[in-house]
Amino acid sequence: MSKDNKIQGTGCNCSNSIGPEEIKSAVDEVVGFTGREKENVILILQEVQKKLNYLPSDALKYICEVTDITPGQISGVSTFYSQFRHLPVGKHTIKICTGTACHVKGSQLISEAFQRELGIDESRNISKDNLFSVEEVACLGCCTLAPVIQIDGKTYGHVKPNLAKEIISDFLSGSHSEKAAGNDDDDENIEAEVRIGLGSCCVAGGSRDILTNLTDIKEGYDLKIKVKPVGCVGVCNQTPLLEIVTKDNSHHRYTNVRKEQVEEILLKHIRPSSLNKRLLYGINDLADSFVSDEKIFSPVNLPGEVREKHLNNFLNLQMHLATLNSGIQSPESYEEYRMLGGFGAFEKVLRKSLPEELIENILKSGLRGRGGAGFLTGLKWRLFSRAAGKPKYVVCNGDEGDPGAFMDRMLLESFPYRIIEGMLIAAYATGADEGIFYIRAEYPLAVMRIRHAVEKCYSHGILGTEVNKNGFRFNISIFEGAGAFVCGEETALIASMEGKRGYPHFRPPYPVEKGFRDRPTLVNNVETLSLVPWIINNGSEAFSNIGTEKSKGTKVFALAGKISKGGLIEVPMGTTIRDIVENIGNGVGEGRTFKAVQIGGPSGGCIPASLADTPVDYEQLSKMGAMMGSGGLVVLDDTDCMVDIAKYFLSFTHKQSCGKCTFCRVGTKQMLNILTALSEGKATMADIEELERLSHDVRNGSLCGLGKTAPNPVLTGLRYFREEYEAHTRGICHAKKCRELVKYVITDQCTGCTKCYQECPVQAIDFKPYEKHSIDLAKCTKCDNCRIVCPEGAVEIVSLNEDKN
Amino acid sequence: MKIRIDDIELDVVAGQTILDAAVKAGIYIPTLCHREDVEPYSSCMVCVVKDRMTNNYMPSCTAKVRDGLEIDSSGDDVIRLRKKAVEMLLAEHRAECEAPCRIVCPAGYNIPLINRHLQAGDINAALELAAKEVTTNDIVCTDCPAYCENACRRKKIDEAVSIRNLMLFVYNTFINGKPAEDFAGLIDVKDKQKIINPVRKKFSSRTGKLEAYEQKEWMKEVPEDAARCREISDLRAAASESVNCMHCDCRAADDCRLRDVSVTLNVKDPQGKMVNAPVLKKINKEANLIFEHAKCIKCGLCVRVSDESKENASLCFVNRGFITLISEPLTVSFESIDRKTAEKYISVCPTGALSKIT
Repeated sequence: MSKDNKIQGTGCNCSNSIGPEEIKSAVDEVVGFTGREKENVILILQEVQKKLNYLPSDALKYICEVTDITPGQISGVSTFYSQFRHLPVGKHTIKICTGTACHVKGSQLISEAFQRELGIDESRNISKDNLFSVEEVACLGCCTLAPVIQIDGKTYGHVKPNLAKEIISDFLSGSHSEKAAGNDDDDENIEAEVRIGLGSCCVAGGSRDILTNLTDIKEGYDLKIKVKPVGCVGVCNQTPLLEIVTKDNSHHRYTNVRKEQVEEILLKHIRPSSLNKRLLYGINDLADSFVSDEKIFSPVNLPGEVREKHLNNFLNLQMHLATLNSGIQSPESYEEYRMLGGFGAFEKVLRKSLPEELIENILKSGLRGRGGAGFLTGLKWRLFSRAAGKPKYVVCNGDEGDPGAFMDRMLLESFPYRIIEGMLIAAYATGADEGIFYIRAEYPLAVMRIRHAVEKCYSHGILGTEVNKNGFRFNISIFEGAGAFVCGEETALIASMEGKRGYPHFRPPYPVEKGFRDRPTLVNNVETLSLVPWIINNGSEAFSNIGTEKSKGTKVFALAGKISKGGLIEVPMGTTIRDIVENIGNGVGEGRTFKAVQIGGPSGGCIPASLADTPVDYEQLSKMGAMMGSGGLVVLDDTDCMVDIAKYFLSFTHKQSCGKCTFCRVGTKQMLNILTALSEGKATMADIEELERLSHDVRNGSLCGLGKTAPNPVLTGLRYFREEYEAHTRGICHAKKCRELVKYVITDQCTGCTKCYQECPVQAIDFKPYEKHSIDLAKCTKCDNCRIVCPEGAVEIVSLNEDKN
Repeated sequence: MKIRIDDIELDVVAGQTILDAAVKAGIYIPTLCHREDVEPYSSCMVCVVKDRMTNNYMPSCTAKVRDGLEIDSSGDDVIRLRKKAVEMLLAEHRAECEAPCRIVCPAGYNIPLINRHLQAGDINAALELAAKEVTTNDIVCTDCPAYCENACRRKKIDEAVSIRNLMLFVYNTFINGKPAEDFAGLIDVKDKQKIINPVRKKFSSRTGKLEAYEQKEWMKEVPEDAARCREISDLRAAASESVNCMHCDCRAADDCRLRDVSVTLNVKDPQGKMVNAPVLKKINKEANLIFEHAKCIKCGLCVRVSDESKENASLCFVNRGFITLISEPLTVSFESIDRKTAEKYISVCPTGALSKIT
């Protein structure tokens, strides 16, 4: 919003500006612990911004004075990465997720609604009371709760444009204190373990409140239970999720739990230990049954199979390798990871395997890079192990930036130890000395969990000390990405770690030969590393028995979009798209038709519903024109417009392009211009032909994967939905999504209740109680508020132009 | 090691780039962001070639040779892709090689340059320029309806520069009372009958109509207090009126690698040029440096030849993607770039973006 066509850092004269002493002390403190090396520029900028709220140009000047960083470097780096701000922002930042799933559910309208509510516009991104700023961010990774916004770390899901005011006041009034799980050490008398999912989506769904509630009730009734927060279970569509495991090892799961139901659920399975408390519950329960109807419909009274049916459908086709022990494992406990077999694979290889054997093992398993490129991991390890140079680095690529994908986030948050174990095994096999976790800044919980896990590993001697007689010793550090999708590309990633702008370079030389600090560097994706322990524990043959001929093992997908039951799933390769969409995800919403899946994010493409029997397999998908990508699977229905989707992806790649090579820098903009013209009904057939030619040129001429795959949404769109593109040249949008080509009308169903008038932000509807309302098309901004609030469904979106074909 | 480029076999050594090998063998591959003494960067992508075995296109300036490599550097698709790269750069290049006044002038006088000479009071240089380009004995302005003034961009702002009178003044200054023989060597008569504008046939990047903010930038070189006068009776008046010229032309028109490559590859200047950056003109009088953002193709040569020390102000990249710019650092002023550095920049810049003011 604010960076276009302006060079930042020209200073600000408002009352928010910060005094020189404050700047000096902040910078001195930061440089005190980072050191003055040029390479540390990103970390220094991140820390200084945390202290000062933004980066005043005096701070930049002073940083150059007290470090080896040059003005050119600090200017280049602070303007390249999205995290850095040169103008002050409000006390709280409202981050509007513009990921794919959120986009298809209307994030654009939500952004506009918040800006309207706060009186924010292009010129100044702070509300009048200096409290809020609005920022559109690339995917927050909570896709199943789309549309999502985040205010200072508090996530709100299923947001609607007309709820802007409510959400703001809820945030301002809300307390953010949480109760800890508060467990006793007395494990013997435990009657049951109560597990509550606390991944980011769960939290957005209200799980923290449930946790607080659980703790209250436990104390109130003096129940002998262990309340255990677990990591992501993947069943994002049915959170908050509660699982009660009683002493006799029976599992009882409750989905979509509401705060009010917690007491009842708990007490059905667990008796309060004292008579008094039992009586207390009995009385409360009786009273409730008189006062409300809730008891009748309470989930507690449903038989287990019925209650868990959807859950089971969701889970049955899955196979948990990377997500092994999902729902059981607490993400923070080192001891529990050990107890469940964790680090067993690492110890096994230390004792038994020779590095070369280990590499051969991974090669035989057929494991391929899960970040999207699908290169044989074993082969990469082998090339890396043979490279000369010391020290050698292993980097875990957690820069998951595909809008609509959040698999890596989930793995980092829920299974941090497993990924560390995978990295250790990779390092042992290849002779590496140091490991780095590269995690995007937009994943603060993931960063926290990994940091915590790494600390635990150090204190237990797995890291930092010699672990075998050959003196194998490994160290891990963490680097937080500063906001650039292009840094998911390994050469750009390495450049950013070196304190430079995230520009990719042509390969060879490959990072495995010459990477970070010109030393051999192995860059592996999070999911790839998290599969390694399973392969070691169960054997390469077991892994290669799963999947298809060329695509072995399982893949984690983030199922989102217009799907009934979205979430994170891990399925064997070869599972068909139809299986995923219909059997696991339970199809699209009622009354809607399944149109296509967008697979692989902005680098991928669409597979139309007619080809839904395509198995998920690297080569098969590539034959269809799409790409496996990192695992984002966004389901589209008949209300999604393929031109709009292509426009959305192109505007993403255009914004994220590093700008180095001509074809991507200029080409994506030219393609975006044509797509925008199409969405506004201003393009011709000749423009479509130009768009197609451009797509091929950008694909051929770009320097790196970002540019080379950016045209894929257009190419697959034209391949499978050309008619839709052509209809736009006639001014018709079949899906009624492109706002310039539709109008909002009120039908005869209208009862004159005036709700739409109340919600309309531009007074396009007159106040006429009991009379059929009408929308003034000249004023209407198509914000969708009226259609959402109309209780009669009397607001319809119709095509502006008539289709003469 | 042996490789083949277009069926020509070459002996190469490991670590060489394809471009290096081609240059050594005398095979021409166009480049823009590449310079022999500077680390290659692969930004412009004009040097693309195709690997015959994989059918992948790659920038020859950074792609390294390997044994048995077969390169296609002349196929239709390769040439097409190179042309497309140049065309895309031109789409970003919101500038003009030749000023509109010069293009419409029947004789093709280099009016903006003549104005610059007049501004500096150097009437001899002005005459020499006018004389060299005319193809008749007489300066043709006397009978011309002043197409130049009609095309002058100042006309859209207030009033066209009084070009016709300036030209007549130049001519008359020398003609008055001097015998014809004195001009024998000065005026090169080629064809008394034909008046040809040499500039019209040449490739030229065109800008068309200026947006309001662009106009403002282009007016930067005109001093705020510049006086206007229609009649030009003496050198002072000439200097005073010529200062109002907006210098629509490009100072590097004859020294521009982008223009050269466009000519060599026969590229057509695209319609619909995009503005991707503030259209700034930055002027550093002390260092005799003018930096016109609209002409920059982001090749980064200036950045790459900077010595990147903290003492000398040097140019750097800012922003990302389409709105990338080359600029002085945020905390430093453009005026602090010194003359020596400026000279280095001017010599490496492949377009007119970084030029001498005079």
